[in-house]
Amino acid sequence: MAAEIRGLPYAVFKWSSFSSSYLPENILVDKPNDQSSRWSSENNNPPQYLILKLERPAILQSITFGKYEKTHVCNLKKFKVFGGMNEENMTELLSSGLKNDYNKETFTLKHKIDEQMFPCRFIKIVPLLSWGPSFNFSIWYVEINGIDEPDVVQPCLHWYSKYREQEAIRLCLKHFRQHNYTEAFESLQKKTKIALEHPMLTELHDKLVLKGDFDSCEALIEKAVNDGLFSQYISQQEYKPQWNQIIPKITKGDGEDSRPGMRGGHQMVIDVQSEMVYLFGGWDGTQDLADFWAYSVGENQWICISRDTEKENGPSARSCHKMCIDTQRRQIYTLGRYLDSSVRNSKSLKSDFYCYDIDTNTWTLLSEDTSADGGPKLVFDHQMCMDSEKHMIYTFGGRILTCNGSVDDSRANEPQFSGLFAFDCHSQTWKLLREDSCNAGPEDIQSRIGHCMLFHSKNRCLYVFGGQRSKTYLNDFFSYDVDRDHVEIISDGTKKDSGMVPMTGFTQRATIDPELNEIHVLSGLSKDKEKREENVRNSFWIYDIVRNSWSCVYKNDQASKENTNKNAQEEEPCPRFAHQLVYDELHKVHYLFGGNPGKSCSPKMRLDDFWSLKLCRPSKEYLLRHCKYLIRKHRFEERAQTEPLSALKYLQNDLFVTVDHSDPEETKEFQLLPSALFKSNKDFTPLGFSDVDHTYFQRTQLFDVLVNFFPDSMTPPKGNLVDLITL
Amino acid sequence: MSNGTFTFKDRCVSVLCCRFCDQVLSIRGMRAQLLAGTDQEMFSTDIPPTKAVDFVGSCYFLEACKCKLKNIACLKCGNEVGYHVVAPCQHCLLSCNNGHFWMFQSKSVCGTARSDASGTNMLLWRDLPDTDEEHEELFIGREEDQEQYLR
Repeated sequence: MAAEIRGLPYAVFKWSSFSSSYLPENILVDKPNDQSSRWSSENNNPPQYLILKLERPAILQSITFGKYEKTHVCNLKKFKVFGGMNEENMTELLSSGLKNDYNKETFTLKHKIDEQMFPCRFIKIVPLLSWGPSFNFSIWYVEINGIDEPDVVQPCLHWYSKYREQEAIRLCLKHFRQHNYTEAFESLQKKTKIALEHPMLTELHDKLVLKGDFDSCEALIEKAVNDGLFSQYISQQEYKPQWNQIIPKITKGDGEDSRPGMRGGHQMVIDVQSEMVYLFGGWDGTQDLADFWAYSVGENQWICISRDTEKENGPSARSCHKMCIDTQRRQIYTLGRYLDSSVRNSKSLKSDFYCYDIDTNTWTLLSEDTSADGGPKLVFDHQMCMDSEKHMIYTFGGRILTCNGSVDDSRANEPQFSGLFAFDCHSQTWKLLREDSCNAGPEDIQSRIGHCMLFHSKNRCLYVFGGQRSKTYLNDFFSYDVDRDHVEIISDGTKKDSGMVPMTGFTQRATIDPELNEIHVLSGLSKDKEKREENVRNSFWIYDIVRNSWSCVYKNDQASKENTNKNAQEEEPCPRFAHQLVYDELHKVHYLFGGNPGKSCSPKMRLDDFWSLKLCRPSKEYLLRHCKYLIRKHRFEERAQTEPLSALKYLQNDLFVTVDHSDPEETKEFQLLPSALFKSNKDFTPLGFSDVDHTYFQRTQLFDVLVNFFPDSMTPPKGNLVDLITL
Repeated sequence: MSNGTFTFKDRCVSVLCCRFCDQVLSIRGMRAQLLAGTDQEMFSTDIPPTKAVDFVGSCYFLEACKCKLKNIACLKCGNEVGYHVVAPCQHCLLSCNNGHFWMFQSKSVCGTARSDASGTNMLLWRDLPDTDEEHEELFIGREEDQEQYLR
């Protein structure tokens, strides 16, 4: 039985607002050449929506949006579509956006739950963002496609009502059991034969809540962990940072010379294949450096490739330059540098461009002055990315160094910023892709310094965010598709969702993991420059490219501790700026070296510490120990009510071993546990009409906690029946 | 420039409305001829109509001169109604001009002459204060709104 997918007849059922003649029903007709043939909201305050009602229930397949014959600022850049059998109870079917062009666009709508098709009668379209942020939302034409043949839809309607009935019964079962209505629970289960949960969890409930057989519970959890049942839970957990200070091997006699010295404003790249970190140049507090190093992760050793690259036909001493590596061809490029105003002259202001070949250990001067070749002028604090696949280098932003002497027009004193350039390594030619543009149009980008730019080798986009332009901090975030020469604004930085996005400044360091689709950001100096010392702090953020969401992995809120004993092993790098961070996406390790700790009392101080950072999720072993701790803690509390002496012994032995005493938080919690010996549970209010006692209640709560570690397909429903009751 | 100023002062003040959605875009409109010399009839205004329009697209240059322009669209319907001179070129600055940097195309905007306080004469630019007027004045010149109260 091949069901036919066709355009489904609908009526516009409800709408949030409309303006002048732009009536909601205009979306029923497709007239791309008539600017007035559209629905337009009266304002763009949320929530704006249209609710469509289908002639009869149908299985939705897709939604098609028609548009105006020209680009239009009212087109929906972001929208959501919801669907359901009634307008109160809708499921999200789509979250997407329209391109600002004249082409019709079709999107597949979610129409299955667990491989089962579900029917819809109502469709709600919710515009979230228009292409011109201050303009109203317009929808020109909507076509809904799907199947409404009763032969197909009827069984889905049956399934749908059965599904809802089943979930309602499961909620009842959960409620009955929680409140110990044993007879009601048993007879409902017997009558409907609906399973509340996986038999393993029923067994856990039996052992834990009904029998209080805690040893069996532990055994059951241990089996579940070993069977990998907690892996879904683990994958949903946030990363925890694990810093390790690297103490490289020192060959005898080399002393301090066997590793790079203190510096900031240096550059690092990593060759993930050979696990080698390359470090070049920087500023040691008084002078620019020209030493060139390689650190082998395998050997845990630094090798000095050159004490002075200039003597080997390489770049002169420099800082605030940029470096990128072509891992395919094993070549390293460096461009740009900072010059003190005292040494700027027409000769020194040339932007030289070097390439280092790892295998032949030779430097090549690609250009004496890239601006003479159609490339960038001499810049510092720019960004540079390598596209090994197409043998291209992209460089964006940075401040152009100018001669102070020759002021021939008034603009010379205004800071100038470099645009987006591409360098074709094969033909050795530069191309200007975007000029610096202050009036940011859809395809324009604003140049800057101190920003981050990362190249995603899989989706072939550059990601740019943060930075500074004169006194303005930029908070926007955009991508640039290098093949399609197209800019996509991810966030214009004006949103009030602060706290949910990193406070970007100009000292953050970022890396990208194309495989995990993640961008990692280690922030340094915060936005508030006033009291510099107190504001130097670390935070680590992860941006999920697919979900378009930021999460903060950790914040180091206390100001850097005074470290009098230099040899003391610190737990994490002190907050800093002008440091370098590289990422090995193959082995999932970050490496951080040096920087400026920002001490106003010793402005020349620079760092030479070297760290690795791994982002870890809780391990199976940790979860098992944690579950055992929870079970034993409960067992102790239960026993404390009746046999305090034996409980104390239990605390000192069985419970003690499940605590990680090196973790201050766990230790503190453990130390507070004995107070249970002096607590009485007389103030427990029995739940409603059931004969649930304190013990049963506490055990049920523990059960609900433990169940959270299991995959959703095994657990009872997450919701509670009582939560449906409103006052 | 000095003799040009007189001709501008003698011109009528127009209310400019969006032809697509009737939104009032400016109550300080002036019928204008483009310096670049196109035949297209235009309106211009001096005070930024930021409550009624916003920028769309990127900056661009016309062939005729080197003024940097950016299109503007009506905030209500989103249709393009004109452009803003972001940075006038040397040539245009030196030529006779009315000092207005906000331009509206007559194909997207209709202009209605405003009458003065007496209600009998056209309001002229010479009678207009240099600063923005009060909002209540906005509707006085509009017959349409008055009609509501006539019957």
